[in-house]
This record gives sequence, structure tokens and C-alpha cells, in this order.
Amino acid sequence: MDTLKTVLSVAASGMRAQGERLKVVSENVANASSTGNASGDDPYRRKIISFQEMVDRDSGASMVEVDRIRRDDADFQLNYDPSHPAADEDGFVKVSNVNTILEMSNMREASRSYQANLNMFETGRTMRSQLLDLLK
Amino acid sequence: MKLGGMSFFQLASQRMTWLGARQAVISENVANADTPNYKAKTVSGFDAMLENADAMQGLKVTDTRHITSSGETPNGVRVTADEDAWEGSIDGNTVALEQQTIDAAEVAGGYRLAAELYRRGHSLLTIAVTGVR
Repeated sequence: MDTLKTVLSVAASGMRAQGERLKVVSENVANASSTGNASGDDPYRRKIISFQEMVDRDSGASMVEVDRIRRDDADFQLNYDPSHPAADEDGFVKVSNVNTILEMSNMREASRSYQANLNMFETGRTMRSQLLDLLK
Repeated sequence: MKLGGMSFFQLASQRMTWLGARQAVISENVANADTPNYKAKTVSGFDAMLENADAMQGLKVTDTRHITSSGETPNGVRVTADEDAWEGSIDGNTVALEQQTIDAAEVAGGYRLAAELYRRGHSLLTIAVTGVR
């Protein structure tokens, strides 16, 4: 079994997972001010992504995959805005529970982890080419 | 002439096998750096691999899906939980990216060294056989 090939595929699985995480973050940020349409409707609920270890059948290596994407159960904030279409009888509008600062730090971490995986990929590739250079 | 039978070439190629296995484990750690409850892994030392090379006990593994009897991968490198992991985060993950980066750089350097030595050994042989550099 080629271990250096394992390095590449594991790093690729890591990049995939971190990319998925970045996608969820961008969804959250984009929907940060999405409210309901009718009176008293719930607005956008923040998504949370979690990872899990996945052992690859062929190589036996621990890859990473997206476990599941849940919704955040945190309470919505209430804004007073009686003219809003989603306002309840008291004039309060529920706003989504997305915290943009939290999402930003999440985004940073995702891109750092992506970079780390990319570096592993690059290192694995270099090692592989050194091995192949022995044939020259 | 079997190059593998000469201790120098055998040593270099075993070293490269070990470094490759180690790099694979490091890449698993990096990929799982955000996985809850993932424990950082490490491989047994190169010396342990050399000692075990002749005496591989246990059941023979002829398929990648077979379970090895001693927790070893087919190339004789044992993968264990890393006891020296730097940190433990609140979700139970013990991977420190910095530590893994340092290890990965060390492995990449060692691999280059082994590959270069192998090549040098080969050119020495060429000189011995042909008399020209």
C-alpha cells in the first residue's frame, strides 16, 4: 500500500470537510438578517456543522467527513419594529440567532485548517516526487 | 544483484517506508484537527520497526481489510495514541496543528535525506561497476 498516496487522500478529505464548513459559515452570514414572512414567523436558524472520523475501507486511514449539520437552538433576539411584515401583535420581530463575529472567527479557523491540509498535501506530493526521482 | 539485500539500501528503503507511514499518520491528525473526541496518533520509533522487521509475528495480512493482530499496519509500523500531544481542547480533541506542522517538516526533511542517500549509494555502485562518474 502506498502511504504517500494515503497522505494525499487524507489531506483531500480534510480540505473537503473544511470547505463544507466554510460553506455553512457563508450560509449563516448571508442569512444573518433573514426574518420570517408572516406575523410571528421564526427567522433563519443558525446552522452548526460537526465533523467525525471516517476510517477508509481500502487504506485503513482515518479520514474526516461531515458528521451532520444541525440547527442552533439558541433563542432569537427580539427587535421592536411594528411596521415589519413579520412583527407579532406586540410589534416585535424575531431576528436570526446568527452572531457575525462568531461566524468570522469560525471562517478564519476553517481557512487556517484548510491551509494546514493543503500544506500536508504539498509535502506529500514533494515526498512522492523525490521517490520517483530515484528512477531517473 | 539484489539492492535490497545490501544493508545500506535496505536501511534507506525501510527508513523511507517508516517516514511515509509517519507522514500518513500526521496527515490524518491534521485532517481531524477539528473532529470532536479525536485523539492525536503517532507511530512507533524507527528502531522498533527495525527490530521487528525480521520477527513479524501474528496473523499474516493478505488483504487491506484484514485486521492485524498487533495493531500494526502491513509495513510493520505500529500506530498508537500520541501521549505527548500538546493540548486538549474542550471537545476532546488533542491535535495541536503547530506540533503536527513541525513533525511534518521533520519527516519531509528526513525523507529527502533518505532519498538522496539512496541515490548516492546507487551512483557509488555505478562508479564501482563502470569506472566512470
